[in-house]
This record gives sequence, structure tokens and C-alpha cells, in this order.
Amino acid sequence: MDGAHDLGGKQGFGPIEVETDFIAFHEPWQARGWAITRSTFRSDWTIDWWRHIRELIDPVDYLSRHYFDSWLQLQTAALIDSGALTMTEAVSGQAADLAPDADPMAPEAVVAIAAKAAYFDRPIDSAPAFNPGDTVRTRRMGAIGHCRLPAYAQGRSGQIHAYHGAHIFADDSARGDEHPEHIYSVVFEASELWPEAAGRRDRIYLDLWEPYLERA
Amino acid sequence: MSSFNSEKIAEIHRELHSKLPSEPALRVKALEGLLVEKGMIKSETIDAWIEHYTEEIGPKRGAHVVARSWLDAAFRDRLMSDAPSALDELGYLGHATGHLKAVENTPTIHNLVVCTLCSCYPFGVLGMAPNWYKTAAYRSRAVRDPRGVLAEFGVRIGDDVEVRVWDSTAELRYLVISERPQGTDGWDEAALTALVSRNSMIGTDRDLTPFVSGWTD
Repeated sequence: MDGAHDLGGKQGFGPIEVETDFIAFHEPWQARGWAITRSTFRSDWTIDWWRHIRELIDPVDYLSRHYFDSWLQLQTAALIDSGALTMTEAVSGQAADLAPDADPMAPEAVVAIAAKAAYFDRPIDSAPAFNPGDTVRTRRMGAIGHCRLPAYAQGRSGQIHAYHGAHIFADDSARGDEHPEHIYSVVFEASELWPEAAGRRDRIYLDLWEPYLERA
Repeated sequence: MSSFNSEKIAEIHRELHSKLPSEPALRVKALEGLLVEKGMIKSETIDAWIEHYTEEIGPKRGAHVVARSWLDAAFRDRLMSDAPSALDELGYLGHATGHLKAVENTPTIHNLVVCTLCSCYPFGVLGMAPNWYKTAAYRSRAVRDPRGVLAEFGVRIGDDVEVRVWDSTAELRYLVISERPQGTDGWDEAALTALVSRNSMIGTDRDLTPFVSGWTD
């Protein structure tokens, strides 16, 4: 979707508030809000649906509220949408009843869950359409729903840098349809993306699924 | 069950915005209390997550990986060809590291990592992301003005150096491997690990040369 989340290349933001030391959490509410999201991810969600719910936050809130606040908003909305909470409960803070499928994560389980990596590669029965070195052009438009082709890289010409097999395609996974598509790292010259970048030795690499690409 | 319906979610967001207090600390407190009452979470589990990501999972893991790669050429080869398995050797596999790629800085290449669409980050090996990584300022500018962003971090990049920006918007994640600094011959793994800054593994730090002892003002 063409939302406020698609920030690459947008102008007027800055400067960066540089921080060098590692500070896991700045405020207790940020830590607890984050940990709630880690403890309540439901099996009827996909990571892409979850990301899309964050994109759907009102753009003024998205840009002005703290990052962990948007996670809190996203998690509350996702739990309501899937029927785990009611709006009345979320607004009042009072439980109407016990959750029927309550199976809270045990504190002893945290270390093992944190040590598990998720894998998105899947077998695919088609051959990849492109090879490293091929010149490709990205699709000219994004999509109504979730889409991982940033606006700044739409309709641009790049080169296949590497092939990474087939991963679950984010756009469809955000609608609950998990199937793989070939995925590539595509490299773009900065001058292909930005008018002021002529002559600059900068390159931008994006990991793009095959449906975003066509032969140039 | 999830609706997978964008319109329904937008409506829920609007209603939550209008009916809940704007102060996030109040909302977190109310949500935690509600979820405990519903039997959906335990507060001890919330404590355990925070403790684990404050004490155990952080950039010291990534720093150890980088230092090991400076000392052990075979490990470096495995890191460059299959980073998740190299991480697994050290017990550092975790959240968002299953498709990790290591990218090397050289005298003529500097790597910088961003996620312009959300804030994807290799949490399992670097821990919680810094605030700046998640801001609109960094996400908007890193792909368009990487040298300007780097200058704000005190990193000057010469015209002879190519900047490679990795916008990690899919499920691959990137870890920047800095060059081993001069003057560290004979240093052991712990001493080298201490030189590797968190920012260098994202790409907003470059020269890890230690301060030379004996240098005063």
C-alpha cells in the first residue's frame, strides 16, 4: 500500500539522533509493550499480515508516535481482529471472561523460543526466470495491500546480484496465502533512483521477489 | 481467526485511537493487566523476555562473531557462505537470523543496512535495535543520502569508496563485517570483540582502530 511507512527517499526528515551505546529499552513501558508482543503472537497470523496491520495505523500516528507505541497499537488491533479480545475489553481494561484458548507462554520457555530462527524458504517447482548479471526492471506500481517493493524502487532498472531460492511471498502471505516465489538481491545504481546522485559511487541493494520484476 | 481485511483493521485502529489514552505507558499497563486477567499472558514471562533481551541477547554476540572472523579464516569462510550455520556454532541463532548474510567492508567498499518499510533487524545477533534505526529520519535518508547520514555518525567516506546500502525489506538480514583495525596483531578474541561497536555491524561506524595508549590531548 502507498502508506506513510514507505519512507525510503522521502525528504524533510532528519537529522539522526545518534546513539552509540547499546540500550535495550529506554523506558519500562517500551520493554513491557515489546515483551507482550513476543508473548501473544497467534497461530492464525502471518508475519506479513502482522506487518501490514502496523502499516494501517493512521499516518499521523505512524509518524508521530514512538516505535514501540505503534507495536502496542498493532498488537491490540491484531488481537481484537482475531477475536482474542473485544473492543470493549481493550477500551475498559476489564476482562469479560477468560480467553477460551488461553495457553499463556511459560517464563521458562522464553530462552528456547528466543533461540529459534524462523525460515521462509520453501521448495518450488519452477525454475528461476533470472540469473545473476541479468538486467531487470521493477514493476511500475505497488499494490493495494501489503507489498515489499518500496515506492522509490518502482519502475527502475537494476541488475540481479544474487539468487536466494524461493521464499514465502510477502504480498500474499499478508492475506493468509502462504506460497513461495523466487527471490533475488537486485542492485540499483544510486543515479537510477535519485536525481541528485549522478556520478556518486553508491549502490542500493533490495531483496525482491520475482513477481516484482520483469526482463528489461 | 484473522480477517485479513485491511478496512476492518483501519477501523479498529481509528476506534482505539479515539477511545484509549494517548499516553503509551497507561495503555501498556492496562493491556498487560487485561491479558493477565484473560489468562493469555503471565507477567513473569514478560519479565523473562525483558531480562533475556537486556542481559543475554545483544550486540556483544555480533561483536564476537566479527572478532572470530578476524582470527579464524575457516570460520570467516563459513560466515560469508552460510552465516546462520556460523552463528549456530557459537550458539547465537535466534530471532531474524535464519536468512542472515554477512557483508564485508574493504578499503574501497562500505556497507550500510536499513529497512525502509518497517525496521527489520537481525535481533538474535545484535539484540534490540537502536532508536535511530527505527526513526523516519534514518529510514528515509539511508538509501538516498547515505554519505550524509554517515557524516552525522562521524564517519567520513572518501570519494574513492563505494557505499553499498542494503535495504532489508524481505526476510534476509545483513551483518556488516568491518576490517580488522591496524595495530591489533596478537590481540586475543576477547580484546578484539571489545573493539567491535554495535553501530559498525549496522554500518554507521567504520574505523575500529583502538585509541593509542600514551596519547593525551
